[in-house]
Amino acid sequence: MASRTWQRLRDDRAARVAIVILGCTVAVALLSPWIAPFDPTFQPDPVGLRLAAPSWRHPLGTDVFSRDVLSRLLVGARLSLGVAVGAMLLSATLGTALGALAAVVGGWVDWLVSALVDILLAVPRLLLVVALVATFGALSPVWLALLLGGTGWLTTARIVRAEMRDQQQREYILAARALGASRWRITWRHLLPAVAPQVTVAAVLALAAVVPLEAALSFVGLGVQAPLPSWGNILLDGSDYLTTAWWLVVFPVAVITGTIGAALVLADRLRTAIAGQEYGR
Amino acid sequence: MKRLVVARLLQAAAVIAVVVTSVFVLLQFAPGDPFAASLEGTDIPPGVRAEWRARYGFDLPPGERFVRWIGALAHGQLGYAASQRRTVASVLADALPRTLLLVGVALILGFTFGVLAGLLQVRHHRRWPDRLLGALTLGGVAMPEFLLGLLAMTWLGARWRLFPVAGLASEGDVNAWPLWERALDHLWHLALPAGVLALSVAARVARHQRAALLGVMQEDYIRTARAKGVGAWDVLRRHALPNAMAPVIALLGLAMPSLVGGAVLIEKIFGWPGMGLTLFDALLARDYPLILAATLLSTVVVVAARALADLLAAAFDPRGLRAT
Amino acid sequence: MRTRHLLLAALSLAVACRGRDAGSAGGTLIVSVGADAETLFPPLAVASQGRVITELLYDKLADIGPGLNTIGDVGFVPRLAKSWEWSADSLVITFHLDPAARWHDGRAVTARDVQYAFHVWTDSAVGAASRSWLSSVDSIAAPDSLTARVHFRSRNPEQFYSFVYALIPLPAHQLAAIADTSLHDAPEVRAPIGSGPFKFVSWTPRARIELAANETYYRGRPKLDGVVFSVAAQGATVAAKLFSGEADFLEQLSPPDFAQLPAHADVRAQAYGGFDYAFLQFNTRDARSAARPHPLFADVALRRALSMAVDRVTLVRSVYDSLARTAIGPFSRTQWTADTTLAGIGFDRTRAARMLDSLGWRAATEGAVRTRDGRRLSFVLLAPASSRTRQAAAVLLQEQFKQVGVEVTIESVDFNAFMVRAQRGTFDALMGAMRTTASPRGVRDVWGTPGPDRGGSNWGHWSNAVFDAHVDSALAATGTAAARAQFRVAYQAAIDDAPAIWLYEPRMFAGVHRRVHITPLRPDAWWSGIAEWSIDPAQRLPRDRRAPATP
Repeated sequence: MASRTWQRLRDDRAARVAIVILGCTVAVALLSPWIAPFDPTFQPDPVGLRLAAPSWRHPLGTDVFSRDVLSRLLVGARLSLGVAVGAMLLSATLGTALGALAAVVGGWVDWLVSALVDILLAVPRLLLVVALVATFGALSPVWLALLLGGTGWLTTARIVRAEMRDQQQREYILAARALGASRWRITWRHLLPAVAPQVTVAAVLALAAVVPLEAALSFVGLGVQAPLPSWGNILLDGSDYLTTAWWLVVFPVAVITGTIGAALVLADRLRTAIAGQEYGR
Repeated sequence: MKRLVVARLLQAAAVIAVVVTSVFVLLQFAPGDPFAASLEGTDIPPGVRAEWRARYGFDLPPGERFVRWIGALAHGQLGYAASQRRTVASVLADALPRTLLLVGVALILGFTFGVLAGLLQVRHHRRWPDRLLGALTLGGVAMPEFLLGLLAMTWLGARWRLFPVAGLASEGDVNAWPLWERALDHLWHLALPAGVLALSVAARVARHQRAALLGVMQEDYIRTARAKGVGAWDVLRRHALPNAMAPVIALLGLAMPSLVGGAVLIEKIFGWPGMGLTLFDALLARDYPLILAATLLSTVVVVAARALADLLAAAFDPRGLRAT
Repeated sequence: MRTRHLLLAALSLAVACRGRDAGSAGGTLIVSVGADAETLFPPLAVASQGRVITELLYDKLADIGPGLNTIGDVGFVPRLAKSWEWSADSLVITFHLDPAARWHDGRAVTARDVQYAFHVWTDSAVGAASRSWLSSVDSIAAPDSLTARVHFRSRNPEQFYSFVYALIPLPAHQLAAIADTSLHDAPEVRAPIGSGPFKFVSWTPRARIELAANETYYRGRPKLDGVVFSVAAQGATVAAKLFSGEADFLEQLSPPDFAQLPAHADVRAQAYGGFDYAFLQFNTRDARSAARPHPLFADVALRRALSMAVDRVTLVRSVYDSLARTAIGPFSRTQWTADTTLAGIGFDRTRAARMLDSLGWRAATEGAVRTRDGRRLSFVLLAPASSRTRQAAAVLLQEQFKQVGVEVTIESVDFNAFMVRAQRGTFDALMGAMRTTASPRGVRDVWGTPGPDRGGSNWGHWSNAVFDAHVDSALAATGTAAARAQFRVAYQAAIDDAPAIWLYEPRMFAGVHRRVHITPLRPDAWWSGIAEWSIDPAQRLPRDRRAPATP
């Protein structure tokens, strides 16, 4: 079944494009220290080159400290994508595992997991991170990823639990049960693949949520510290000059949107490929 | 059924207790108290600050402080918000309705338009409405809320003056206006912040809804219905939608905390002093009675909303309920 | 919404035509501010927002003149005190209160109110700011209800200024019944009864504070009908309100705001003297234990070398363009003690590098961080998240220090945490800013050796005997020329010893809506002339018309 999925994905043009875009972004992010034209913290001329519009030398312009925006975006991608992917993987794994446990084992495990969900839910994520930063001081990117991942699994868990419980009532599951299949086997072979589409969508959305969250933290001054660039604090620096230096906002937004867009398209195509059949075709 | 209710209540109590205690414990690691930096520049001698701390219980050991707070809570007293120099109750009484209005309107609009957008996308799957809405929802998901807010404020507010930039109401002889006009003015001030939030919410809901609907549309019973000649919209509305609501309702349950926690950045940008901003400032000021009270409120709402969401899910899909 | 505006205009026209005098009086001034007032209780309202409002609500006995002179009583203008006399030995000043002065509830302002205020201000249970300013006052007698006789223990040049600025008469009939310890959060204090040109109407916390004109003000009704302070939590929003026409006045336009100014024709920038200066302050004591000297910054030579490595001109141009000047020393150019001929350390990167070399700080390779005995030349710079300009300056400084092999990590914390750490001394260096006053005495609190009788604002624990001695002499000097000479020596000592790198003095530019006629803005108190401001009747907006407010 898996090989058929990959086959279908390979044949899908939109998926191929998305994979290429994402692959390039990840490659660029990883290679950024070498391919960035300038050091992202280098300030060639804080007075003369301040807020310079895009030019040949600085294709995406310079920011308020005369740092090259292109270089900052490239190196910032590393940090932001790293944190986002790390958080996404953690939250997807945790969410699926806990959601599955709650749905399949049920009983007091379900009770415990849903209590855990409620506990984490009671405090909005941003405020939780603010509280932690206020307590422990500025967070390193690793801790940021752990934190965001550790608090971002709720959606996934909820969806997985809801979907699995729904699936458990289906005839084919009941039949498998009647045939004596173990719960583990049923989970692994039937339920998990059934929720995979939803989980991928949720995971990609979780990824998409991390970047703005990181930007929000920078906005209140508690994000990644200068001079390290991240997409979040590039946006923050640009938010003061919305009407006068459009390149500070337009390019980061384009990059973020492009990356997230590619990820969402991929998720969509993946879901279709897994399902094997497609509505409307 | 009775067993379920009891289990739910126990769970609710446990959740509330754990959350409040954890927040309190967390706060102990953060140095500072509301009096440390308040009234900076004054010649308040350390002795006087110490006296204020003593008066409001900040000098007691953490355990005793917590116990006292719970004791006061049992008598219905929420305490004193030192960072705002008034009672916690009056702070919450001001901030909570504002946030309920803002987030409530945003959620209603967001979910309505999100579900509609998802439906439209599936109805015209792979045609231009699908692609257009897909691009729009992508923008809504990718753009950070605060940026959307700043853009809206700068262009729609300051430049083109279509909406007010910030605040709860217009300046001017407001008291002389009739009630309906004051309400309208309030809504006009609500438009930008709620609109920006709603956009964000709608984008996410639309994406989830679309994925869920597409998943359902492949089911056999849908094909059967189409083969029988049921119209496309009817199929969507009567057969697909109810079965695809589960994840969206899950989302709704997850959005409940923001009804109390507020949307901090939007409130900050648009000068809408609600619960988000209050809690944020309280966190920075280490004003623990206010933080604890707001957290308690938030937890109660979450627990209640979760129960509601579960009931709704059961209503949409009776099969699930029978299994419990 | 346009129909609504038309409707409103029609309604207002109808109201106006009902015979209300629409001469030069009228209109409401909306001031856009970035923070709510913490308290409106004068003894405790020092933070800028509270202070602006209390000074509009409460009149002083006398106010400083436009020349900002603080020595003797030259130039002071009468307020609640119509006149005053000095005794021959200058140890007694007798104030004669204006018989027409009234509290906002109609009661007369009497000498008892002055006595009560003295009691409140000096009571340590209240913890009033500027309590130390009254330390030389022995007692206040009230021979009759309109005469207050102030007895001083000692003379000093700023005796009069200290007294009238520290002590604001309070309504004894409203507050005397409340215990001193409960004053700071009593409900009466949230609905103040003052004596000033504006009276309190309402306070919506975190949103707005509304004041209305005092119709029976003893010096004549203000031209405005009211003043509203509209709070916005976000810097961009504060300015946006001005640009969208929802506010009329903004105390200080930041550099990004300036960039937007050309696009809005109905807002103009009004320059006025500034009293602020910003600096990078070194902590001369160890951040972990105040008993030990700081491993890096206890050394004067290192501090001087670091000062030399900073190109302040470029820094100021980058952050502020032309909206700020480089600072010279621990003072603002607008103060009368300022001396622009003082010799600063100057910028010389190569010399700084050589100085660091000679101190033993060597870089292993080109561009690496310098080390000495295995210790890196690296420190943490604390900056408040609330100030975008200080954050920007910190980033520029970080890069400049990197060029000489010094590694700086910027720690950006919220303002509360910043103040806590500054006061406790748990920092290596911080981005500080001071708002000076008309009186130069503040420099002793901030840069003088901390003592038991002095305020504790010298967070870097810097101590220099020459500086202390000369500042004390200057503050005791009897003439401005003598004082200036003493200050010059003191300031030069501070510049040479480099307890801080003196960075910039922002020029103040207020944003004003074109229909508002303002008086010249005083650098230490832009709000002092609001009672004289007016709104051009021909350019009134719908929100200017209002019925007399009922508090």
